[in-house]
Amino acid sequence: MPITILPPKFSHPPPPPQDISDSDSDLSSDDGGAHLDFASLGLPNRKPNPANNPLFTNLVTPGTLITPDPQWMRGHGTYIPPHTTHITSSLAGIITRTNKLISVSPLRARYTPEVGDLVVGRIVEVQAKRWRVDVGSVQLASLPLSAINLPGGILRKRTETDELQIRTFFAEGDLVVAEVQQLFQDGGAVLHTRSLKYGKLRNGLFAAVSGVGGGSGVVRSRRQVWTMEGQNGGGKMDVILGVNGYVWISKHVEQVAKELEQKHMGITNMEENVSAGVYSSQNDPIDSDTMREITRLRGVVTALVENGCRVDEDMVIRGYAEACEMAMLSETGPEDIYLGGQRGEELTRALRGN
Amino acid sequence: MPREAEPSLNEKQFVLQALQDSVRLDGRELEQYRPLELTFGDQYGVADVTLGKTRVLAKASAELTVPYADRPLDGIFNIATELSPMTSPAFEVNRPTETEVLISRLLEKTVRRSGALDTESLCLVAGQKCWSIRVDVHVLSHDGNLIDAACFAVVAALRHFRKPDTSMEGGVLTVYTPAEREPVPLSWLHSPFCVTWSFFGEEGDIAVLDATWMEEQVRSGSCTVSLNQHGEICQIAKLGGVPVEAVSLLHCTNVALVKAKDMSSKLDRWLAEDAKRRDKGGLLAELSAENDRVPDM
Amino acid sequence: MPLDTSTYNLALLRVDGRRWNELRRIHAQIRTQAAADGSSYLEMGHTKVMCVVTGPSEPGPRRGVAGAGGGGGGGGAGGQSKEAEVVVNIVIAGFSSVDRKRRGRGDKRTLEMQSTLSNTLAATLHTHLFPHSQINISLHVLSQDGSLLAALINAATLACVDAGIPMTDYVTACTAGSTSTYAANDEGADPLLDLNHQEEQELPGLTVATLGDSDKVVALVCESRVQISRLEGMLAVGVDGCKQVREILDQVIKAQGQKMILEGTVDKGTGLNDMDLD
Repeated sequence: MPITILPPKFSHPPPPPQDISDSDSDLSSDDGGAHLDFASLGLPNRKPNPANNPLFTNLVTPGTLITPDPQWMRGHGTYIPPHTTHITSSLAGIITRTNKLISVSPLRARYTPEVGDLVVGRIVEVQAKRWRVDVGSVQLASLPLSAINLPGGILRKRTETDELQIRTFFAEGDLVVAEVQQLFQDGGAVLHTRSLKYGKLRNGLFAAVSGVGGGSGVVRSRRQVWTMEGQNGGGKMDVILGVNGYVWISKHVEQVAKELEQKHMGITNMEENVSAGVYSSQNDPIDSDTMREITRLRGVVTALVENGCRVDEDMVIRGYAEACEMAMLSETGPEDIYLGGQRGEELTRALRGN
Repeated sequence: MPREAEPSLNEKQFVLQALQDSVRLDGRELEQYRPLELTFGDQYGVADVTLGKTRVLAKASAELTVPYADRPLDGIFNIATELSPMTSPAFEVNRPTETEVLISRLLEKTVRRSGALDTESLCLVAGQKCWSIRVDVHVLSHDGNLIDAACFAVVAALRHFRKPDTSMEGGVLTVYTPAEREPVPLSWLHSPFCVTWSFFGEEGDIAVLDATWMEEQVRSGSCTVSLNQHGEICQIAKLGGVPVEAVSLLHCTNVALVKAKDMSSKLDRWLAEDAKRRDKGGLLAELSAENDRVPDM
Repeated sequence: MPLDTSTYNLALLRVDGRRWNELRRIHAQIRTQAAADGSSYLEMGHTKVMCVVTGPSEPGPRRGVAGAGGGGGGGGAGGQSKEAEVVVNIVIAGFSSVDRKRRGRGDKRTLEMQSTLSNTLAATLHTHLFPHSQINISLHVLSQDGSLLAALINAATLACVDAGIPMTDYVTACTAGSTSTYAANDEGADPLLDLNHQEEQELPGLTVATLGDSDKVVALVCESRVQISRLEGMLAVGVDGCKQVREILDQVIKAQGQKMILEGTVDKGTGLNDMDLD
């Protein structure tokens, strides 16, 4: 992973000038030197005095007193020091209020699972009756054997044979897409894959970006999964944006879509279609154009996150279009899939400009 | 690795609540030590310290060796701590636990780095011969406050210790056996003592001296101050734990000074008593030793 | 090489030209590594450290390297505890000091610092929110010029804030010393703030870490002989220095937050002032 260390900058700010608005009068005593310093260094966050900027009033850091008023209720990201009624922030983040509840949503944090979240995860451990799945959360999520679609048609009971063959469904290192079914008191999540939308992932590329915890990264939105047309001769691609910040981009396989259509035909019918193929780890053949476009799409997602953008369907589709255009304009044409560094910045700037 | 069983929840609560009312399980005041006892061994340099049920044995020994190349004028001085499974099943041989590392670091900082022992006096021939003094600290029984007991044992052992006398004549180094010449004490500069405070509660407002093992398991932080009788701080270690007001820390160091002075005078008294006991013949025997004539028995 | 402190009394300037109450330049940065949950880079003068925080996450054998037997794996596996375990790992680069001495893994000084950091952070992080998990803090020392422990604490605090781990307040640290050696009992000795390597070698000093804006001392480490009367002055200067450091670190975090708001990465939120309409 790249390490970014910026050149040193003036970081010993003198006590903030009392009133920065009258800095025209730079003759004002010895304080004037400090003003000039600020001006010449042009620190971006200095120009509008941060204390006065209404945008920043809700930005808090750990230990900041939010309110001493006992009428409010404290939510996540806050605490009340003993013997007081002072709601105090325990995170660097933004104050959010829901009626009387005050909470602080962090600038960045690990993913905290919620029921109904669509997540992409990785199997890290196989136990007797369940899998343990890394979903980028505080704890490993668990996927019980009873919460997957067993092969062999019709809703059937899970048998001891299934337990013995647990590794044939998912083994360590497999990627799955699943839904959070239930939460434990201590924050652990239980997943399920009892739908054809969910299951093992194949034919594609994985990217881990930051999730819903806070800040940039994947945001909860209406659509987390979609199919899009690949440019430059690439085929259709499936994109799964796990709410936990794990992203899966793969070649679109028609068979799955067909099965999805049949989903409306009733639950028994659907179950019949669940074949052992669902649990195959074998990739289908992918042509190189599609592979390239998948890589490009992944580049778009990582570039978005790197430059502090939200990742949702709209941004990714627009970003992809922009990236294709950028590639066309470059010397190497569509083969140019590099979207790191400056090119990533260019890309996001173009998207923000719209 | 077997783990030490933690005290149960209600035991913990009981101890804490009692402490809130300034009551300790063994009926002591908050700033009171358990009875401190010291026994010297038959040999020089063996000190057996008991502090309530905590018992620590320290043995000092000396051998001739070559000084380190980068410090040719200094002798060698080491403190080795040993927490064996005898003390508690949580300790293993040959695999230092965090407790052991912290204790040995503390002793090292208190006694060695503060210059209690004049290492230059241990050098016999610059760059070639010097004394290597080694103190082995063995914890025989662990009922809390190992640090204070161990430190006391180390200082007592070193002050009690006698190394063989030597002489240099015409470039020839002679080491005398105890029979030839009375061994000589080490060149000792000052006696540092550790005083460990334990803090309890979320606010760390209850400060207790000489915590027992039970109290140590319940405490939320600790601070070890090492001082000598001249009122010099040799070392302070509050390695994290519950935040404590700076003012109360200052108070703690001042109380610690009183305790250190107290320990210092106790040690002086015991050393004097032991010297008296060994010196059976009194002044006459002293005189006959000076004649250097050992009658054949 | 002995430090000549005799000139101090003439101009009241220290070897590097600072006054008694001046900190060295502190430059800090957060989010230096995209892959980590939280990361920071901190310079206090010429002391440079990097910190990476992973977690809170499931403890146990290294994830991803299933079966490959992840090397480290030391320490007690406190998996079943009700609180998250704070595991600190310090790597001191061989090139970080003047003498290229390699410190092994079992070096007691490093172990002591690890334990200090772990206990210091555990006192302020809200570890009870993350049962059965582990917070891994990895620190790399790139360059040493005194006040190492203080720099490590500050860097770790920043990285924990960046990782979004709830905490009571910042824990900030700095060193304080005194201008005369322990032997000289002169009353005119000035306390000094933020010692560099040379001063640390020659003068008595201590490292103090405080919680937020308060006078509450989380860690206090003194490794040299000093008169007890000198302690109060040193402690006062140290605590004051910690508050200055806190201001600087707070600015760093705020700057990052403001940048994110301006870029539209995060909402501006709904604050108390927006709701006092009723």
